[in-house]
Amino acid sequence: MRVDILQKIEGEAFLRYRFKKGRIEHVKIEFPHYRGVEEIMRGRPAEDAVAIAPRVCGICGHSHLIAAAEALENAAGVTPPLKARYIRNVTLGCELIQNHIKWLYLVILPLLKRMGFREVPFFEAIDKSATAGKIIAIFGGQYPHTSYAVLGGVCSDPTLLEIQKAKLFAKEIEDFFHSEVMEEIERFSEFKDSRGILKEIYIFLKHKELLDIGRAHDRFLNLREGTKILGLKRVSAKLRYVSTAPSGIGYAKNALYKGKYFEVGPLARRIHTPFVKDLHRRYKDGLFTRIAARVYEIKILLSQLKETLKKIEPQGDSFVKTDSLAEGTGEAVVEAPRGSLIHRVKIKKGKIERYEIITPTQFNLSNGTSLNPGPAQKAVIGLRDRSEAELVFRSFDICSVCTTH
Amino acid sequence: MNREHLRGLFSAKSARVDTNRGEEYYNSLFERCKKRVEELKRLEPVNGVDIMEVLEDEGVSRRDFLKWASAMTATLMLPASFTPLVAEAAEVMNRVPVIWLELQDCAGNTEALIRSDGPKVDELILDIISFEFNETLMTAAGHQAEEQLEDAMHHFKGKYLLFVEGAIPVGAGKEWCTIGASGETFEEHLHRVAKDAAAIVAVGTCATFGGVPAAAPNPTGAVGVMDIVKGKPIVNIPACPANPANMVGVILHYVLTGQIPELDSLLRPKFAFGYRIHDNCERRAHFDAGEFVEEWGDEGAQNNFCLYKVGCKGPMTFNNCSIIRYNESVNWPIGAGHGCIGCSEPDFWDKYAYERPMADANIKAPTGGVEKSVDEFGLGLLSAAAVGIGIHAAISAFAGKKDEGDE
Repeated sequence: MRVDILQKIEGEAFLRYRFKKGRIEHVKIEFPHYRGVEEIMRGRPAEDAVAIAPRVCGICGHSHLIAAAEALENAAGVTPPLKARYIRNVTLGCELIQNHIKWLYLVILPLLKRMGFREVPFFEAIDKSATAGKIIAIFGGQYPHTSYAVLGGVCSDPTLLEIQKAKLFAKEIEDFFHSEVMEEIERFSEFKDSRGILKEIYIFLKHKELLDIGRAHDRFLNLREGTKILGLKRVSAKLRYVSTAPSGIGYAKNALYKGKYFEVGPLARRIHTPFVKDLHRRYKDGLFTRIAARVYEIKILLSQLKETLKKIEPQGDSFVKTDSLAEGTGEAVVEAPRGSLIHRVKIKKGKIERYEIITPTQFNLSNGTSLNPGPAQKAVIGLRDRSEAELVFRSFDICSVCTTH
Repeated sequence: MNREHLRGLFSAKSARVDTNRGEEYYNSLFERCKKRVEELKRLEPVNGVDIMEVLEDEGVSRRDFLKWASAMTATLMLPASFTPLVAEAAEVMNRVPVIWLELQDCAGNTEALIRSDGPKVDELILDIISFEFNETLMTAAGHQAEEQLEDAMHHFKGKYLLFVEGAIPVGAGKEWCTIGASGETFEEHLHRVAKDAAAIVAVGTCATFGGVPAAAPNPTGAVGVMDIVKGKPIVNIPACPANPANMVGVILHYVLTGQIPELDSLLRPKFAFGYRIHDNCERRAHFDAGEFVEEWGDEGAQNNFCLYKVGCKGPMTFNNCSIIRYNESVNWPIGAGHGCIGCSEPDFWDKYAYERPMADANIKAPTGGVEKSVDEFGLGLLSAAAVGIGIHAAISAFAGKKDEGDE
């Protein structure tokens, strides 16, 4: 048994490998940290969820904020006005953008470097990821740990000038992305006539024959959209079939859909785009498809960001009043950087009676058995090399802090 | 609500900070700092990197750098004449080894740091100030990282600044959190690394006061660094997340003077926590005029009125957000129309983090103040303009030129 420690994932995870004839036969995943956020939520006035929830995670706290606000809205039966929804989409999109850029430059590229890839300076990339944080700050006050979304909408009321500023920031990120990471292409075609970091990664992994390692179950969930994808077939999925089970080790619970393990995240969200579909056809849900889907998602998010910014009109309500939130249950699902994030709340006499958070990494890094492994576990089975295994693990962009919450 | 009450509230001693200590003081400080920087210059940089070279390579102009240095000088409440010295100190910042530990947290402070303040200061932080060991940032991971930590601790024994992010579970659940392959608990880990530190900087509300993990019912018995580490100089930089400017400020201050900055009773640096959010709030005029947001999205909200009635805890919260702001000064929570949640105060998670004004909360503000019904408060102000003037008088008394000489 070899024990590896995964750090640099905002917390820690232990990987306990079992080898057989030089190949990974099974790996146990343990998250050794715990804070007890769900317990902390209990007994608090319902509205306070939006102040505590973003603090579950410093990396994707904004997704937690939106999930908490939407869970409360679901319980109260209110829909925030269109303008508030646009603004939330902008800030949520920016959280994904900044996360993906950081993941690529601070996690994936250094790992590849250890395997022989060239050294890529990351200053500019981090600067651009910080620029996405600035867009969130324009609407949300600060980032990380924004608390500007409230039950019924958002409390910010951006002026035209602020929206303009956000557009300029978005342009800055877009220019960087298309000149450095990948050009604006719609199809894969082996990056013919195009250049960028993603192409370099492709060539590197191709040379190493690693493009299609790390295949998981080829089963995906995009719960926000309400679909599950088997192979490439999309069928509708219902939130109520999501359940959790003790992982038997550490403090994270496994997350399952109808008792099965599914992969969530950018690959699940973007598998229907021509670019990712091309990749999937060749390399299935392997390492490069997973990496490329996350990078490609930045492109999609940037163009959505531009469109949404155009739609925000300074006049118009950003909030709708809710009479009272005394009783009820609510749930919400948000597509967070790492995949579908679920918040469930039960309110009694205005107080939170039960709060449940299911995070994307609970799906992806479920600690299953060797007969029925979780997605990331399945993806490393059969590999010989632990650094390859680590690369596969990190292609899921794992995060421990909110997984154990 | 009488005038004396207000005067007491806004001129409380805990809020007083000396912004002008007189020429003699600053002259001698300047000499001391100069000597210290000269000494540091003679030392080898911890990571063998020339700061100015890296900055130049990354396209930071000398002008940008000096702009940053002058902002930092102001943050540290030093006279403008210190700017060249602060710049020099920044150039030798990597003579001071910094070790960063991440415990029971959400990594939010590290995150805040990566998108730090000012032009290209994120580079300053990431590459130049040598963060010898940060579990989120460093390239090494796992076993390799543990070795790196051991190396740094051994090599810089007694010299390193230890930055701690995250609370420490010491309750019945301390086995909740372990670190590394040895299964060391956070508490053991912290004690071991803290032993040979020159000073400890607790960053964020979790490391300072326990933070969200310590929120009732505090499932893991989480506490802050100062609750368990004794006999070491400790600086607390609370807030959720802590403002990167204040983190850099503390390091710079240490580089500049060889000492930790002047602290208040909660071990917070006075340069950052010497006044309330409320004192320098951009919406303050509306508070004084009795103009409040009554509910989200109303006319008051559209006109940037005071957020006190929708739960702003600015009057009870000591921090410099209203001046420094966040994300390269793009904005701050009140700028986005949300009240302060008091995230840099002890127990904020139980006392302050909600959407109701203090009036309904049935708890006392630490200063003894504004918990009276705000309607009464606002009306009181409206009906007696003199009271508003009284407040301003009190404020200028402590923000102004008064020097009481207690260092």
